[in-house]
Amino acid sequence: MKLELVDVWHVYSPGTEFEVAALRGVSLSVESGEILGVVGGTGSGKSTLAQHMNLLLTPTRGRVLVDGVDAAAMRKRDLRRRVGLVFQFPEQALFAPTVEEDVAFAPRQLGLGEDEIRRRVQNSLEAVGASHLTGRFPHALSGGERRRVAIAGILAMEPEVLVLDEPTAGLDPAAREDLLGLVSRFRDESRSVVLISHDLDEVAEVADRVCVLEKGEVRAVGTPAEVFYENLDVAPATVRVVSELHGVYPDLGRPVRFGETLQALRGLLEA
Amino acid sequence: MVGAGRTFGRFYPAVSLLHELDPRAKILATAIFILGIFLVGSIPGLLEVAAALAVLVVASRVPPGVFLRTLRPVAIIVILTALFQILFSREGVTLFEWGILQVHEGGLSMGFFLALRILLLVLAAGLLTATTSPVALADGVEDLLSPLKRFRFPAHEVAMMTTIALRFIPTLQEEAQKIMNAQAARGASFAEGGLIRRAQAFRPVLVPLTVGAFRRADELAEAMESRGYRGGEGRTRYRELRFQVRDALALAVAALVIALGALL
Repeated sequence: MKLELVDVWHVYSPGTEFEVAALRGVSLSVESGEILGVVGGTGSGKSTLAQHMNLLLTPTRGRVLVDGVDAAAMRKRDLRRRVGLVFQFPEQALFAPTVEEDVAFAPRQLGLGEDEIRRRVQNSLEAVGASHLTGRFPHALSGGERRRVAIAGILAMEPEVLVLDEPTAGLDPAAREDLLGLVSRFRDESRSVVLISHDLDEVAEVADRVCVLEKGEVRAVGTPAEVFYENLDVAPATVRVVSELHGVYPDLGRPVRFGETLQALRGLLEA
Repeated sequence: MVGAGRTFGRFYPAVSLLHELDPRAKILATAIFILGIFLVGSIPGLLEVAAALAVLVVASRVPPGVFLRTLRPVAIIVILTALFQILFSREGVTLFEWGILQVHEGGLSMGFFLALRILLLVLAAGLLTATTSPVALADGVEDLLSPLKRFRFPAHEVAMMTTIALRFIPTLQEEAQKIMNAQAARGASFAEGGLIRRAQAFRPVLVPLTVGAFRRADELAEAMESRGYRGGEGRTRYRELRFQVRDALALAVAALVIALGALL
Protein backbone atom coordinates (compact mmCIF):
# COMPACT_ATOMS: atom_id res chain seq x y z
CA MET A 1 0.00 0.00 0.00
CA LYS A 2 0.98 3.61 -0.42
CA LEU A 3 1.08 5.83 2.64
CA GLU A 4 1.07 9.58 2.05
CA LEU A 5 1.25 12.62 4.27
CA VAL A 6 -0.05 15.77 2.64
CA ASP A 7 0.90 19.14 4.14
CA VAL A 8 0.71 17.84 7.71
CA TRP A 9 0.95 20.32 10.56
CA HIS A 10 0.97 19.46 14.21
CA VAL A 11 0.73 21.93 17.06
CA TYR A 12 1.07 20.71 20.67
CA SER A 13 -0.95 22.43 23.41
CA PRO A 14 -2.49 25.00 21.07
CA GLY A 15 -3.65 28.22 22.68
CA THR A 16 -1.51 27.84 25.80
CA GLU A 17 1.87 29.19 26.79
CA PHE A 18 3.31 25.72 25.99
CA GLU A 19 2.27 25.89 22.33
CA VAL A 20 4.83 24.35 19.93
CA ALA A 21 4.47 23.61 16.22
CA ALA A 22 6.27 20.25 15.90
CA LEU A 23 5.40 19.68 12.24
CA ARG A 24 5.11 22.53 9.75
CA GLY A 25 3.62 21.34 6.48
CA VAL A 26 5.30 17.96 6.03
CA SER A 27 4.52 16.11 2.78
CA LEU A 28 6.01 12.73 1.97
CA SER A 29 5.04 9.27 0.78
CA VAL A 30 6.12 5.65 1.13
CA GLU A 31 5.48 3.15 -1.66
CA SER A 32 5.19 -0.64 -1.46
CA GLY A 33 8.55 -2.37 -1.32
CA GLU A 34 10.39 0.73 -0.24
CA ILE A 35 12.39 1.70 2.79
CA LEU A 36 12.07 5.38 3.61
CA GLY A 37 14.63 6.66 6.07
CA VAL A 38 13.73 9.70 8.16
CA VAL A 39 16.65 11.50 9.77
CA GLY A 40 16.90 14.66 11.82
CA GLY A 41 18.19 15.93 15.12
CA THR A 42 16.37 15.74 18.43
CA GLY A 43 13.32 17.97 18.39
CA SER A 44 13.09 17.90 14.59
CA GLY A 45 9.66 16.26 14.78
CA LYS A 46 10.61 12.67 13.91
CA SER A 47 8.60 11.00 16.66
CA THR A 48 5.62 13.29 16.14
CA LEU A 49 5.74 12.36 12.46
CA ALA A 50 5.77 8.64 13.32
CA GLN A 51 2.61 8.96 15.38
CA HIS A 52 0.77 10.56 12.48
CA MET A 53 1.32 7.52 10.29
CA ASN A 54 -1.33 5.50 12.14
CA LEU A 55 -3.17 8.58 13.43
CA LEU A 56 -2.28 8.13 17.09
CA LEU A 57 -1.87 11.87 16.70
CA THR A 58 -4.24 13.67 14.40
CA PRO A 59 -2.83 16.43 12.23
CA THR A 60 -3.75 19.97 13.27
CA ARG A 61 -3.89 20.62 9.53
CA GLY A 62 -3.32 18.42 6.49
CA ARG A 63 -4.19 14.81 5.68
CA VAL A 64 -2.85 11.27 5.87
CA LEU A 65 -3.77 9.10 2.89
CA VAL A 66 -3.77 5.30 2.61
CA ASP A 67 -3.84 4.27 -1.04
CA GLY A 68 -5.37 7.66 -1.77
CA VAL A 69 -8.11 7.29 0.84
CA ASP A 70 -8.23 9.69 3.80
CA ALA A 71 -7.02 7.68 6.80
CA ALA A 72 -9.28 9.71 9.11
CA ALA A 73 -12.25 8.04 7.44
CA MET A 74 -10.91 4.51 8.04
CA ARG A 75 -11.67 2.44 11.12
CA LYS A 76 -8.89 3.11 13.63
CA ARG A 77 -8.40 -0.61 14.19
CA ASP A 78 -7.92 -1.33 10.48
CA LEU A 79 -5.53 1.56 10.08
CA ARG A 80 -3.41 0.47 13.05
CA ARG A 81 -3.29 -3.11 11.79
CA ARG A 82 -2.14 -2.02 8.33
CA VAL A 83 0.37 0.53 9.61
CA GLY A 84 2.38 -1.10 12.40
CA LEU A 85 4.09 1.48 14.60
CA VAL A 86 7.04 0.46 16.76
CA PHE A 87 7.70 3.20 19.30
CA GLN A 88 11.05 4.28 20.62
CA PHE A 89 12.09 1.83 23.38
CA PRO A 90 9.08 -0.40 22.62
CA GLU A 91 10.21 -2.89 25.28
CA GLN A 92 8.85 -0.50 27.91
CA ALA A 93 5.35 -1.57 26.94
CA LEU A 94 5.84 -5.32 27.49
CA PHE A 95 3.33 -6.48 30.08
CA ALA A 96 2.33 -10.13 29.77
CA PRO A 97 3.74 -12.92 31.96
CA THR A 98 5.25 -14.72 28.97
CA VAL A 99 6.79 -13.63 25.69
CA GLU A 100 4.25 -15.71 23.81
CA GLU A 101 1.28 -14.00 25.43
CA ASP A 102 2.76 -10.57 24.89
CA VAL A 103 3.26 -11.13 21.18
CA ALA A 104 -0.25 -12.62 20.99
CA PHE A 105 -1.77 -9.42 22.40
CA ALA A 106 -2.21 -7.61 19.08
CA PRO A 107 -3.60 -10.57 17.08
CA ARG A 108 -5.97 -11.28 19.95
CA GLN A 109 -7.20 -7.68 19.85
CA LEU A 110 -7.86 -8.26 16.15
CA GLY A 111 -10.18 -11.10 17.12
CA LEU A 112 -8.31 -13.84 15.24
CA GLY A 113 -8.75 -17.56 15.92
CA GLU A 114 -6.39 -19.41 18.28
CA ASP A 115 -4.66 -21.32 15.46
CA GLU A 116 -4.03 -18.16 13.50
CA ILE A 117 -2.76 -16.39 16.62
CA ARG A 118 -0.32 -19.24 17.32
CA ARG A 119 0.91 -19.19 13.73
CA ARG A 120 1.49 -15.43 13.82
CA VAL A 121 3.26 -15.52 17.18
CA GLN A 122 5.58 -18.21 15.86
CA ASN A 123 6.26 -16.41 12.60
CA SER A 124 6.95 -13.03 14.12
CA LEU A 125 9.20 -14.41 16.87
CA GLU A 126 11.07 -16.30 14.16
CA ALA A 127 11.39 -13.15 12.06
CA VAL A 128 13.16 -11.34 14.90
CA GLY A 129 15.21 -14.40 15.86
CA ALA A 130 13.53 -14.91 19.22
CA SER A 131 11.74 -18.26 18.81
CA HIS A 132 13.69 -19.71 21.73
CA LEU A 133 12.26 -17.11 24.14
CA THR A 134 8.60 -18.16 23.80
CA GLY A 135 7.91 -19.19 27.39
CA ARG A 136 10.18 -16.70 29.14
CA PHE A 137 9.17 -13.78 31.38
CA PRO A 138 9.70 -10.63 29.27
CA HIS A 139 11.15 -8.51 32.06
CA ALA A 140 13.82 -11.11 32.81
CA LEU A 141 15.28 -10.87 29.29
CA SER A 142 18.24 -8.80 28.16
CA GLY A 143 17.69 -5.40 26.58
CA GLY A 144 18.27 -6.66 23.06
CA GLU A 145 15.99 -9.64 23.55
CA ARG A 146 13.20 -7.47 24.92
CA ARG A 147 13.51 -5.16 21.92
CA ARG A 148 13.13 -8.15 19.57
CA VAL A 149 10.07 -9.40 21.43
CA ALA A 150 8.46 -5.95 21.39
CA ILE A 151 8.98 -5.66 17.63
CA ALA A 152 7.53 -9.14 17.15
CA GLY A 153 4.46 -7.84 19.00
CA ILE A 154 3.86 -5.42 16.12
CA LEU A 155 4.85 -7.85 13.36
CA ALA A 156 2.14 -10.19 14.63
CA MET A 157 -0.44 -7.82 13.14
CA GLU A 158 1.16 -8.49 9.74
CA PRO A 159 1.20 -4.80 8.86
CA GLU A 160 1.68 -3.58 5.31
CA VAL A 161 3.74 -0.62 6.44
CA LEU A 162 6.15 -0.92 9.34
CA VAL A 163 7.10 2.33 11.05
CA LEU A 164 10.12 2.03 13.34
CA ASP A 165 11.04 4.94 15.63
CA GLU A 166 14.72 4.69 16.57
CA PRO A 167 14.64 0.87 16.56
CA THR A 168 18.39 0.42 17.06
CA ALA A 169 18.88 2.95 19.86
CA GLY A 170 20.88 1.30 22.63
CA LEU A 171 21.39 -2.01 20.79
CA ASP A 172 24.78 -3.69 20.36
CA PRO A 173 26.21 -3.93 16.80
CA ALA A 174 25.13 -7.55 16.31
CA ALA A 175 21.53 -6.90 17.34
CA ARG A 176 21.57 -3.83 15.12
CA GLU A 177 22.67 -5.86 12.09
CA ASP A 178 19.90 -8.39 12.76
CA LEU A 179 17.32 -5.66 12.94
CA LEU A 180 18.45 -4.00 9.72
CA GLY A 181 18.32 -7.45 8.08
CA LEU A 182 14.71 -7.75 9.22
CA VAL A 183 13.93 -4.35 7.72
CA SER A 184 15.43 -5.36 4.37
CA ARG A 185 13.48 -8.65 4.32
CA PHE A 186 10.30 -6.70 4.99
CA ARG A 187 10.93 -4.67 1.86
CA ASP A 188 11.67 -7.81 -0.16
CA GLU A 189 8.17 -9.02 0.69
CA SER A 190 7.07 -5.80 -1.07
CA ARG A 191 5.80 -4.26 2.11
CA SER A 192 7.15 -0.88 3.14
CA VAL A 193 9.21 0.44 6.02
CA VAL A 194 9.63 3.88 7.51
CA LEU A 195 12.91 3.86 9.43
CA ILE A 196 13.27 6.82 11.76
CA SER A 197 16.75 7.19 13.11
CA HIS A 198 19.48 9.59 13.97
CA ASP A 199 22.10 7.03 13.01
CA LEU A 200 22.94 8.34 9.54
CA ASP A 201 25.10 5.35 8.65
CA GLU A 202 22.35 2.83 9.18
CA VAL A 203 19.88 4.90 7.17
CA ALA A 204 22.40 5.25 4.32
CA GLU A 205 22.92 1.50 4.52
CA VAL A 206 19.35 0.28 4.05
CA ALA A 207 17.09 3.14 2.93
CA ASP A 208 15.93 3.51 -0.66
CA ARG A 209 15.02 7.12 -0.03
CA VAL A 210 15.90 9.51 2.74
CA CYS A 211 13.93 12.41 4.15
CA VAL A 212 15.75 15.00 6.24
CA LEU A 213 13.55 16.66 8.82
CA GLU A 214 14.58 19.94 10.38
CA LYS A 215 12.50 21.98 12.84
CA GLY A 216 9.34 20.23 11.66
CA GLU A 217 9.95 20.82 7.96
CA VAL A 218 11.23 18.56 5.20
CA ARG A 219 14.62 19.89 4.22
CA ALA A 220 15.47 17.29 1.57
CA VAL A 221 14.07 14.05 0.09
CA GLY A 222 15.76 11.67 -2.35
CA THR A 223 18.10 8.70 -2.62
CA PRO A 224 20.76 8.58 0.11
CA ALA A 225 23.40 9.66 -2.45
CA GLU A 226 21.35 12.66 -3.63
CA VAL A 227 20.45 13.82 -0.17
CA PHE A 228 23.69 13.18 1.67
CA TYR A 229 26.14 14.46 -0.95
CA GLU A 230 24.14 17.67 -1.29
CA ASN A 231 23.71 18.22 2.45
CA LEU A 232 27.08 17.35 3.88
CA ASP A 233 26.21 18.77 7.29
CA VAL A 234 23.65 15.99 7.79
CA ALA A 235 25.69 13.30 6.02
CA PRO A 236 27.22 10.20 7.65
CA ALA A 237 31.01 10.07 8.13
CA THR A 238 31.52 7.82 5.07
CA VAL A 239 29.97 10.43 2.81
CA ARG A 240 32.01 13.23 4.27
CA VAL A 241 35.24 11.33 3.74
CA VAL A 242 34.35 10.33 0.19
CA SER A 243 33.17 13.79 -0.82
CA GLU A 244 36.75 15.01 -0.29
CA LEU A 245 37.75 12.81 -3.25
CA HIS A 246 34.78 13.66 -5.42
CA GLY A 247 36.64 15.98 -7.78
CA VAL A 248 38.86 13.08 -8.88
CA TYR A 249 36.56 10.06 -8.42
CA PRO A 250 32.93 11.16 -8.91
CA ASP A 251 31.52 7.60 -8.64
CA LEU A 252 33.18 6.72 -5.38
CA GLY A 253 30.80 6.09 -2.52
CA ARG A 254 27.66 5.77 -4.63
CA PRO A 255 25.52 4.07 -3.41
CA VAL A 256 26.21 5.31 0.10
CA ARG A 257 27.15 1.98 1.65
CA PHE A 258 30.03 1.63 4.03
CA GLY A 259 31.19 -1.78 2.75
CA GLU A 260 31.11 -0.86 -0.93
CA THR A 261 32.71 2.52 -0.33
CA LEU A 262 35.47 0.89 1.68
CA GLN A 263 36.12 -1.56 -1.14
CA ALA A 264 36.29 1.23 -3.73
CA LEU A 265 38.74 3.16 -1.56
CA ARG A 266 40.86 0.06 -1.14
CA GLY A 267 40.94 -0.46 -4.92
CA LEU A 268 41.95 3.16 -5.31
CA LEU A 269 44.87 2.82 -2.93
CA GLU A 270 46.12 -0.33 -4.64
CA ALA A 271 46.00 1.25 -8.09
CA MET B 1 4.19 16.54 25.83
CA VAL B 2 1.15 15.28 27.60
CA GLY B 3 0.66 16.88 30.95
CA ALA B 4 2.40 20.04 29.85
CA GLY B 5 0.34 22.80 31.37
CA ARG B 6 -2.29 20.41 32.55
CA THR B 7 -0.87 19.37 35.84
CA PHE B 8 -2.39 20.72 39.00
CA GLY B 9 -0.09 22.83 41.07
CA ARG B 10 2.63 23.47 38.53
CA PHE B 11 5.35 25.99 39.37
CA TYR B 12 5.26 29.00 37.08
CA PRO B 13 8.56 30.89 37.19
CA ALA B 14 8.22 34.69 37.10
CA VAL B 15 9.68 37.71 38.81
CA SER B 16 7.31 38.98 41.47
CA LEU B 17 7.22 39.79 45.16
CA LEU B 18 5.19 36.64 45.71
CA HIS B 19 7.88 34.50 44.12
CA GLU B 20 10.53 36.11 46.29
CA LEU B 21 8.80 35.70 49.65
CA ASP B 22 10.20 33.14 52.06
CA PRO B 23 8.53 29.79 51.32
CA ARG B 24 7.75 29.36 55.03
CA ALA B 25 5.82 32.63 55.00
CA LYS B 26 3.90 31.52 51.93
CA ILE B 27 3.11 28.10 53.38
CA LEU B 28 1.89 29.64 56.63
CA ALA B 29 -0.09 32.33 54.82
CA THR B 30 -1.72 29.67 52.66
CA ALA B 31 -2.53 27.68 55.78
CA ILE B 32 -4.09 30.81 57.30
CA PHE B 33 -6.17 31.29 54.16
CA ILE B 34 -7.27 27.68 53.88
CA LEU B 35 -8.19 27.26 57.54
CA GLY B 36 -9.46 30.82 57.82
CA ILE B 37 -11.86 30.49 54.90
CA PHE B 38 -13.88 28.12 57.09
CA LEU B 39 -14.28 30.93 59.63
CA VAL B 40 -15.71 33.25 57.01
CA GLY B 41 -19.45 32.72 57.30
CA SER B 42 -21.01 35.11 54.85
CA ILE B 43 -21.02 35.80 51.13
CA PRO B 44 -19.68 39.36 51.52
CA GLY B 45 -16.89 37.94 53.67
CA LEU B 46 -15.95 35.40 50.98
CA LEU B 47 -16.12 38.11 48.31
CA GLU B 48 -13.65 40.14 50.34
CA VAL B 49 -11.27 37.15 50.51
CA ALA B 50 -11.82 36.58 46.78
CA ALA B 51 -10.90 40.19 46.05
CA ALA B 52 -7.72 39.81 48.12
CA LEU B 53 -6.77 36.61 46.26
CA ALA B 54 -7.48 38.32 42.95
CA VAL B 55 -5.02 41.07 43.90
CA LEU B 56 -2.46 38.37 44.74
CA VAL B 57 -3.04 36.63 41.38
CA VAL B 58 -2.31 39.91 39.58
CA ALA B 59 0.69 40.59 41.84
CA SER B 60 2.11 37.11 41.13
CA ARG B 61 2.60 37.97 37.43
CA VAL B 62 1.41 34.45 36.60
CA PRO B 63 -1.10 34.49 33.70
CA PRO B 64 -4.62 34.04 35.16
CA GLY B 65 -5.17 31.25 32.62
CA VAL B 66 -2.77 29.07 34.61
CA PHE B 67 -5.03 29.36 37.67
CA LEU B 68 -8.18 28.82 35.65
CA ARG B 69 -6.68 25.54 34.49
CA THR B 70 -5.95 24.44 38.05
CA LEU B 71 -9.60 25.14 38.85
CA ARG B 72 -10.87 22.96 36.01
CA PRO B 73 -10.50 19.57 37.76
CA VAL B 74 -12.62 20.74 40.69
CA ALA B 75 -15.28 22.30 38.47
CA ILE B 76 -17.48 19.19 38.67
CA ILE B 77 -17.37 19.12 42.46
CA VAL B 78 -18.20 22.82 42.59
CA ILE B 79 -21.11 22.49 40.18
CA LEU B 80 -22.52 19.40 41.93
CA THR B 81 -22.25 21.04 45.35
CA ALA B 82 -24.01 24.15 44.13
CA LEU B 83 -26.74 22.18 42.33
CA PHE B 84 -27.39 20.04 45.39
CA GLN B 85 -27.92 23.07 47.56
CA ILE B 86 -30.00 24.90 44.99
CA LEU B 87 -32.32 21.97 44.31
CA PHE B 88 -32.69 20.36 47.71
CA SER B 89 -32.59 23.18 50.20
CA ARG B 90 -36.02 24.33 51.39
CA GLU B 91 -35.02 27.46 53.25
CA GLY B 92 -36.24 30.98 52.63
CA VAL B 93 -38.62 32.36 50.04
CA THR B 94 -39.56 30.12 47.08
CA LEU B 95 -38.14 31.71 43.97
CA PHE B 96 -39.11 29.14 41.38
CA GLU B 97 -41.27 26.06 41.24
CA TRP B 98 -41.70 23.45 38.52
CA GLY B 99 -43.25 20.12 39.46
CA ILE B 100 -41.25 18.70 42.30
CA LEU B 101 -38.42 21.12 41.63
CA GLN B 102 -38.30 24.05 43.98
CA VAL B 103 -35.62 26.68 44.19
CA HIS B 104 -35.50 28.60 47.43
CA GLU B 105 -33.60 31.74 48.23
CA GLY B 106 -31.69 30.01 51.02
CA GLY B 107 -30.58 27.21 48.70
CA LEU B 108 -29.45 29.60 46.05
CA SER B 109 -27.28 31.63 48.39
CA MET B 110 -25.99 28.51 50.16
CA GLY B 111 -25.06 26.96 46.80
CA PHE B 112 -23.21 30.08 45.75
CA PHE B 113 -21.51 30.29 49.16
CA LEU B 114 -20.22 26.70 49.10
CA ALA B 115 -19.11 26.86 45.46
CA LEU B 116 -17.19 30.06 46.13
CA ARG B 117 -15.60 28.55 49.22
CA ILE B 118 -14.27 25.52 47.31
CA LEU B 119 -12.96 27.70 44.49
CA LEU B 120 -11.13 29.95 46.94
CA LEU B 121 -9.57 26.97 48.73
CA VAL B 122 -8.19 25.61 45.47
CA LEU B 123 -7.09 29.05 44.32
CA ALA B 124 -5.16 29.68 47.56
CA ALA B 125 -3.32 26.37 47.18
CA GLY B 126 -2.70 27.04 43.49
CA LEU B 127 -1.22 30.42 44.31
CA LEU B 128 1.30 28.77 46.63
CA THR B 129 2.44 26.10 44.16
CA ALA B 130 2.49 28.46 41.18
CA THR B 131 4.81 30.93 42.90
CA THR B 132 7.00 28.53 44.87
CA SER B 133 9.43 26.12 43.22
CA PRO B 134 9.18 22.51 44.44
CA VAL B 135 12.65 22.79 45.96
CA ALA B 136 11.75 25.94 47.91
CA LEU B 137 8.49 24.32 48.95
CA ALA B 138 10.29 21.28 50.29
CA ASP B 139 12.83 23.44 52.13
CA GLY B 140 9.99 25.39 53.70
CA VAL B 141 8.05 22.30 54.73
CA GLU B 142 11.17 20.72 56.19
CA ASP B 143 11.97 23.81 58.16
CA LEU B 144 8.45 24.18 59.50
CA LEU B 145 8.40 20.52 60.54
CA SER B 146 11.88 20.57 62.06
CA PRO B 147 10.70 21.33 65.63
CA LEU B 148 9.10 17.88 65.46
CA LYS B 149 12.53 16.31 64.96
CA ARG B 150 12.84 16.39 68.74
CA PHE B 151 10.10 13.76 68.80
CA ARG B 152 11.99 11.71 66.20
CA PHE B 153 9.75 12.86 63.42
CA PRO B 154 11.70 12.41 60.11
CA ALA B 155 11.09 15.96 58.85
CA HIS B 156 13.82 15.89 56.21
CA GLU B 157 12.78 12.51 54.86
CA VAL B 158 9.11 13.51 54.66
CA ALA B 159 10.00 16.70 52.81
CA MET B 160 12.30 14.85 50.41
CA MET B 161 9.71 12.14 49.70
CA THR B 162 7.03 14.73 49.08
CA THR B 163 9.22 16.66 46.67
CA ILE B 164 10.17 13.53 44.78
CA ALA B 165 6.55 12.41 44.59
CA LEU B 166 5.44 15.80 43.25
CA ARG B 167 8.34 15.93 40.84
CA PHE B 168 7.45 12.58 39.30
CA ILE B 169 3.72 13.10 38.78
CA PRO B 170 4.21 14.69 35.33
CA THR B 171 6.87 12.11 34.46
CA LEU B 172 4.54 9.24 35.27
CA GLN B 173 1.69 10.89 33.38
CA GLU B 174 3.93 11.17 30.36
CA GLU B 175 5.03 7.57 30.68
CA ALA B 176 1.44 6.36 31.05
CA GLN B 177 0.52 8.21 27.88
CA LYS B 178 3.48 6.68 26.04
CA ILE B 179 2.53 3.17 27.09
CA MET B 180 -1.12 3.77 26.20
CA ASN B 181 0.01 4.90 22.75
CA ALA B 182 2.21 1.85 22.35
CA GLN B 183 -0.66 -0.47 23.28
CA ALA B 184 -3.07 1.46 21.07
CA ALA B 185 -0.64 0.79 18.21
CA ARG B 186 -1.15 -2.90 19.02
CA GLY B 187 -4.89 -2.54 18.72
CA ALA B 188 -5.77 -1.87 22.36
CA SER B 189 -8.72 0.40 22.87
CA PHE B 190 -9.44 2.22 26.09
CA ALA B 191 -12.80 3.69 25.23
CA GLU B 192 -14.81 0.64 24.18
CA GLY B 193 -16.92 -1.89 26.03
CA GLY B 194 -18.37 -1.88 29.52
CA LEU B 195 -16.74 -0.90 32.77
CA ILE B 196 -15.09 -4.28 33.34
CA ARG B 197 -13.70 -4.51 29.81
CA ARG B 198 -12.34 -1.00 30.12
CA ALA B 199 -10.70 -1.77 33.45
CA GLN B 200 -9.15 -4.88 31.89
CA ALA B 201 -7.87 -2.77 29.01
CA PHE B 202 -5.70 -0.93 31.52
CA ARG B 203 -3.79 -4.00 32.62
CA PRO B 204 -1.35 -3.69 29.68
CA VAL B 205 -0.77 -0.10 30.82
CA LEU B 206 -0.54 -0.58 34.58
CA VAL B 207 1.93 -3.47 34.53
CA PRO B 208 4.64 -1.70 32.51
CA LEU B 209 3.94 1.58 34.30
CA THR B 210 4.55 -0.07 37.69
CA VAL B 211 7.64 -1.88 36.46
CA GLY B 212 8.93 1.41 35.07
CA ALA B 213 8.22 3.29 38.30
CA PHE B 214 10.22 0.78 40.35
CA ARG B 215 13.09 0.90 37.87
CA ARG B 216 13.04 4.68 38.01
CA ALA B 217 13.03 4.65 41.82
CA ASP B 218 16.08 2.38 41.84
CA GLU B 219 17.91 4.59 39.40
CA LEU B 220 17.07 7.74 41.34
CA ALA B 221 18.26 6.19 44.61
CA GLU B 222 21.52 5.14 42.98
CA ALA B 223 22.02 8.57 41.43
CA MET B 224 21.41 10.23 44.80
CA GLU B 225 23.79 7.91 46.64
CA SER B 226 26.49 8.31 44.02
CA ARG B 227 26.31 12.03 44.66
CA GLY B 228 26.82 11.46 48.35
CA TYR B 229 23.25 11.77 49.65
CA ARG B 230 23.00 10.37 53.16
CA GLY B 231 19.78 11.87 54.44
CA GLY B 232 19.22 15.11 56.34
CA GLU B 233 21.89 14.72 59.04
CA GLY B 234 24.53 17.45 58.70
CA ARG B 235 23.25 18.48 55.30
CA THR B 236 23.74 22.18 54.46
CA ARG B 237 21.82 24.27 51.97
CA TYR B 238 22.95 26.31 49.04
CA ARG B 239 20.09 28.71 49.61
CA GLU B 240 19.59 29.56 53.26
CA LEU B 241 16.07 30.58 54.16
CA ARG B 242 15.87 34.08 55.65
CA PHE B 243 12.68 35.26 57.25
CA GLN B 244 12.49 38.99 56.60
CA VAL B 245 10.22 41.83 57.64
CA ARG B 246 8.24 41.54 54.41
CA ASP B 247 7.54 37.87 55.21
CA ALA B 248 6.13 38.83 58.59
CA LEU B 249 4.09 41.53 56.86
CA ALA B 250 2.72 38.98 54.40
CA LEU B 251 1.52 36.82 57.29
CA ALA B 252 -0.07 39.84 58.97
CA VAL B 253 -1.88 40.78 55.76
CA ALA B 254 -3.18 37.22 55.34
CA ALA B 255 -4.48 37.20 58.93
CA LEU B 256 -6.05 40.62 58.43
CA VAL B 257 -7.85 39.58 55.24
CA ILE B 258 -9.31 36.55 57.01
CA ALA B 259 -10.25 38.50 60.14
CA LEU B 260 -12.04 41.10 58.04
CA GLY B 261 -13.81 38.36 56.09
CA ALA B 262 -14.95 36.67 59.29
CA LEU B 263 -16.41 39.92 60.57
CA LEU B 264 -18.31 40.77 57.37
